[in-house]
Amino acid sequence: MIEFEALKPQNLKEALAVLKEKGMDIKILAGGTDLLVEINNNSDRLGDFKYLMDISSIKGLDEIENKKEHLIIGALCTHTQISESELIKRNFPILIRAAKTIGSTQIRNRGTIGGNINNGSPAADLITPLIALKGSVILKSKNKKRELPLQDFITGPYKTDRKEDEIMTKIKIPKITSDYQSSFQKVKRRQAVAIARINLAVVTDIKKKRFNDIRVVFGSATPTAIRFLKIEKRLKQAHINELDLESIAEQTGQEMVEITGERWSTPYKKPVVGNLLIRALQEIIREVQ
Amino acid sequence: MQKVKVSLTVNRKKYNLKVDPDERLLDTLRDRLHLFGVKEGCSIGECGACTVILDGKAVNSCMVYTFQIDGSQVLTVEGLEIDGRLDPLQLSFIEHQAVQCGFCTPGMLMSAKALLNKNPNPDKEAIKTAIEGNLCRCTGYQQIIEAIEASTKKDGSE
Ligand SMILES: Cc1cc2nc3c(=O)[nH]c(=O)nc-3n(C[C@H](O)[C@H](O)[C@H](O)COP(=O)(O)OP(=O)(O)OC[C@H]3O[C@@H](n4cnc5c(N)ncnc54)[C@H](O)[C@@H]3O)c2cc1C
Ligand code: FES
Ligand code: FES
Repeated sequence: MIEFEALKPQNLKEALAVLKEKGMDIKILAGGTDLLVEINNNSDRLGDFKYLMDISSIKGLDEIENKKEHLIIGALCTHTQISESELIKRNFPILIRAAKTIGSTQIRNRGTIGGNINNGSPAADLITPLIALKGSVILKSKNKKRELPLQDFITGPYKTDRKEDEIMTKIKIPKITSDYQSSFQKVKRRQAVAIARINLAVVTDIKKKRFNDIRVVFGSATPTAIRFLKIEKRLKQAHINELDLESIAEQTGQEMVEITGERWSTPYKKPVVGNLLIRALQEIIREVQ
Repeated sequence: MQKVKVSLTVNRKKYNLKVDPDERLLDTLRDRLHLFGVKEGCSIGECGACTVILDGKAVNSCMVYTFQIDGSQVLTVEGLEIDGRLDPLQLSFIEHQAVQCGFCTPGMLMSAKALLNKNPNPDKEAIKTAIEGNLCRCTGYQQIIEAIEASTKKDGSE
């Protein structure tokens, strides 16, 4: 059994002051849908902590703001809130599609975007599209505020660059023009096959029927979600009606193996990533034709 | 572990409690308030047997610490019945034989109730989405979906 004391700061300022003082002994709690499972399972990933600090009812961290060049999503926004947001629907429909696949209605009602990112699971369904959208994260401590690309914030499986005295307050996403298309794909975990749920986000604009600024990000295929730069390079400037799908799929699998090396899961994952990308490209092409 | 003061409104009645930090809403409802309609199945958010309505939304009560929700409103299956009269949704479950062993039923009812409160006329897709986090090992879901559908039509015509 894990023993801890409860902390319930009334506002962000108070939370940051407490973190400054005893951050190394504190675990932050938002929606709890990752943390309570880990506590229940006595997971090694939890590490030592003395205090559980609930931030779920701190005001001001659950807003979605429309700025001129960015959309800003508060770290405490739940998956339900994201799914229902008109602002997000208009700007980044891929985030809505991803959020709607998470868990169940009950999980989406509690689980937050900040928790999804900070838990740092390789299979986290919002991390993949957020990297494809070039999102960045904003972290605050008592005396400092910093912003860094989400891609750099995730440093390994279940590892992040968060410092002990920091809270993630916001996620910032640069707006894209209306000629951008996107697709989110996910292989759901099947009961019999206890293998991670691979997901894929593709975001691209299309100019004169050619892919231009294309971003291909897989989750759970590699230790952390990352862009597949080689396949991106191949697809950039490729004509959407002249794609050699079979060889694209093959190359995607190869790129994964180059990153991960041969593993026990390779024979399963290699064809899956190729097929997912084909599905995503076809979906995008159908949209523009 | 130091206890935490929490005030909650459960099934329209107010409680002032002192809870343990690791006391889940599920524990508070069952062990302190003896609301045994709230079931514990998996304890990890996967079965939905522990579903209650928290401030208007269906949540798994095994995934919430009570100390997190000071000042909140909670509705459990016991609260669906008012002055000895079952909720129309409960009657519809009985009528459509949507209850077999009954273990999933309270959670199912709360997921469906949260949906109907928000959207009195949901289509079949919305109903399926609302109960996708509620496992039933007995019925194959068909009767449950029919029971919810029937109770939407009733609401519409009344
Ligand atoms: C049954 C079930 C199904 C699920 N299905 C999916 C799924 O399909 N896809 C998916 O991606 N996830 C899934 N999840 C995982 C989980 O629901 C999500 O990752 C959720 O978004 C986590 O958010 P939370 O607020 O509940 O996090 P919490 O559990 O509260 O916290 C998670 C971690 O993030 C840290 N943290 C939280 N907020 C902050 C912050 N603002 N600043 C700094 N650190 C913070 C916490 O300290 C903790 O380490 C599932 C979980 C369950 C139980
Ligand atoms: S007991 Fe809570 S979801 Fe299964
Ligand atoms: S009636 Fe038995 S689990 Fe649903």
